[in-house]
Amino acid sequence: MLDGILLGLSTALQWQNLLYVIAGCFVGTFIGMLPGLGPITAIALMIPITYSIDPSSGMILMAGVYYGAIFGGSTSSILINAPGVAGTVASSFDGYPLAKQGMAGKALAIAAWASFTGGTIGALLLMLAAPTLAKVSLSFQSADYVALMCLGLTAIAAFSNKGTFLKAMMMTVFGLTLSTVGIDPSSGTERFTFGNTDLLDGISFLLIAMSTFALAEALSNVLKPEVKQGNSEQPMQIGSIRLSKTEVKEISPTIGRSSLLGFIIGVLPGAGATIASFMAYAAERNLAPKALQEKFGKGSLRGLAAPESANNAACTGSFVPLLTLGIPGSGTTAIMLGALIAYGIQPGPMLMQDNPDVFWAVIISMYLGNIVLLILNLPLIPYLARVLIMPKAILTMMILFFSLIGVYLVSFNTFDLFMMIGFALVALVLRLLAFPMAPLLLGFILGDMIESNFRRAMMTSDGSLSIFWDKPLTLGIMLLAIVVLAMPLLSFLRLRKAAV
Amino acid sequence: MLNRDTLGALIFLAFFTAYAVFAWQIPLLPFEEMDAVNSASIPKVYAALGLIFSLLALLAQAIKRQHNSGDGWPQINRRSIGQTAVLLLLMWVYTALLEPIGFLLATSAFLSAGFFILGERRWRVLLLASVPVAVVFWLIVTKLLGIYLVPGELWS
Repeated sequence: MLDGILLGLSTALQWQNLLYVIAGCFVGTFIGMLPGLGPITAIALMIPITYSIDPSSGMILMAGVYYGAIFGGSTSSILINAPGVAGTVASSFDGYPLAKQGMAGKALAIAAWASFTGGTIGALLLMLAAPTLAKVSLSFQSADYVALMCLGLTAIAAFSNKGTFLKAMMMTVFGLTLSTVGIDPSSGTERFTFGNTDLLDGISFLLIAMSTFALAEALSNVLKPEVKQGNSEQPMQIGSIRLSKTEVKEISPTIGRSSLLGFIIGVLPGAGATIASFMAYAAERNLAPKALQEKFGKGSLRGLAAPESANNAACTGSFVPLLTLGIPGSGTTAIMLGALIAYGIQPGPMLMQDNPDVFWAVIISMYLGNIVLLILNLPLIPYLARVLIMPKAILTMMILFFSLIGVYLVSFNTFDLFMMIGFALVALVLRLLAFPMAPLLLGFILGDMIESNFRRAMMTSDGSLSIFWDKPLTLGIMLLAIVVLAMPLLSFLRLRKAAV
Repeated sequence: MLNRDTLGALIFLAFFTAYAVFAWQIPLLPFEEMDAVNSASIPKVYAALGLIFSLLALLAQAIKRQHNSGDGWPQINRRSIGQTAVLLLLMWVYTALLEPIGFLLATSAFLSAGFFILGERRWRVLLLASVPVAVVFWLIVTKLLGIYLVPGELWS
């Protein structure tokens, strides 16, 4: 492992990669601060740029953007009570009251330190967990992968917002159906191309990511303008970013506990930063002495430190299934998986052996990203926060422009842009109907892998489906997927029974 | 009036029905016909799953409606709908004109028209936020990254 860490360090510390991580953190913070725009959009906008650089640098840039966007989301949560992403909603519960009390600088410093510590603990656990899990997963066969992917797809739907399970499942299947467009790689048969040669290669993942996230989010902000709860016309007074010894002592145990909790939740497919931050917030409130419990929601330092450390640790944790099994647990890691596949790199148990530079550089760059956020972004927050008063027209048009031209520069085919506009319209309507977008992306990206692994599994079993229950491991994962699938349905039936 | 959950489920039911029809029409190659899994197998499974989930969603709505008829449509004003529709049209026009009139002209026009649609009326902002962006981006892409961008089929 030491060799791997040294290899990762030597890759991540190359001057151009350091520049990429710094640039990524800045761009991510900038985009993450904008209400309504999250890490998925930020990363999607970066993908065309990463195509022109080598895979390690591309992943380093995207990891920087990811952490920057999470930090940017916390900043807008604290300063104007408008979380850029769901994962930072819990940060606004106590962050915004602190800012209103004139302690915005302190709140931002707590957010940065908690994120840094959460990210550091997460990175350390990732270094320990990923190689071990990668070794174990070397024994996985095609049927196990199919089972794992089914578990991943059902879990992301089960962990989606309350009452949206069936919507998430429909979106997942919608994503799976889109992955079947084009020439079938096994037989060469055309599927769903309707005689259009532009569809023979299928639909590009970049097109889907850009249209359903970047374009649809920008258009959705025009359609449903966010009600600004803070006074964003004039930047808030930031105040001191220094923390006293007593404050550090108060939040330290919280950060430790929440980081551990966040990492564990992040590793679970589908759970991610949002659930981690809410669970850490609730756990800390329950653990706090009675007198401190009452401060939660009114500007508690613990109440801010808990979700901040948990969401960052969860972001790191979500890389475990991606790097070791090649299965993304969230929309953001699904985008990264798509980017890796586009580079010709297949994440999974062999990644550590075949591309150790990419594997370790990603892990090390996560840590570097946290350092950059702490020493560069935090002092610059008063200046970066000015993005919140930038005219909406300029921001919206820039996102539309970069999304369209980003896809064009990769394919040089205007048919892709027309298709993108069509998908953006569909995504916009689905957003209005409260359908979640991440399951679509996950379904689309996993679609090809499910099909190829399913075919391989069926070939090895001579066409017998029993391969999915013959081995205890496959059977166990399948049963878990069925339980995850049945849980929301059972809870719906229980609620109905209670209502009657 | 349909609530948005029912409408969503109906849209997906229609989509998955159409998908199923096309999935059953996928032409199989002669050697595939005896295979346990062929090109049409997985699309058929997806079609069946999609139909099951959309029917379940409709059923859930029917059950829910007996207890609660909340609609939950978001409040959107007509001006926002108009702006969004015109922006979509603008993107379509930009795509159609990108290659015939070239990147620089199409992008400058696209950005300034977009700013105008979104309420910007100061001509200085309209020009300064569009033309320099297009020129700088063009310089970065063509001169720095060495990527060829069509100067405009109409002029070349």
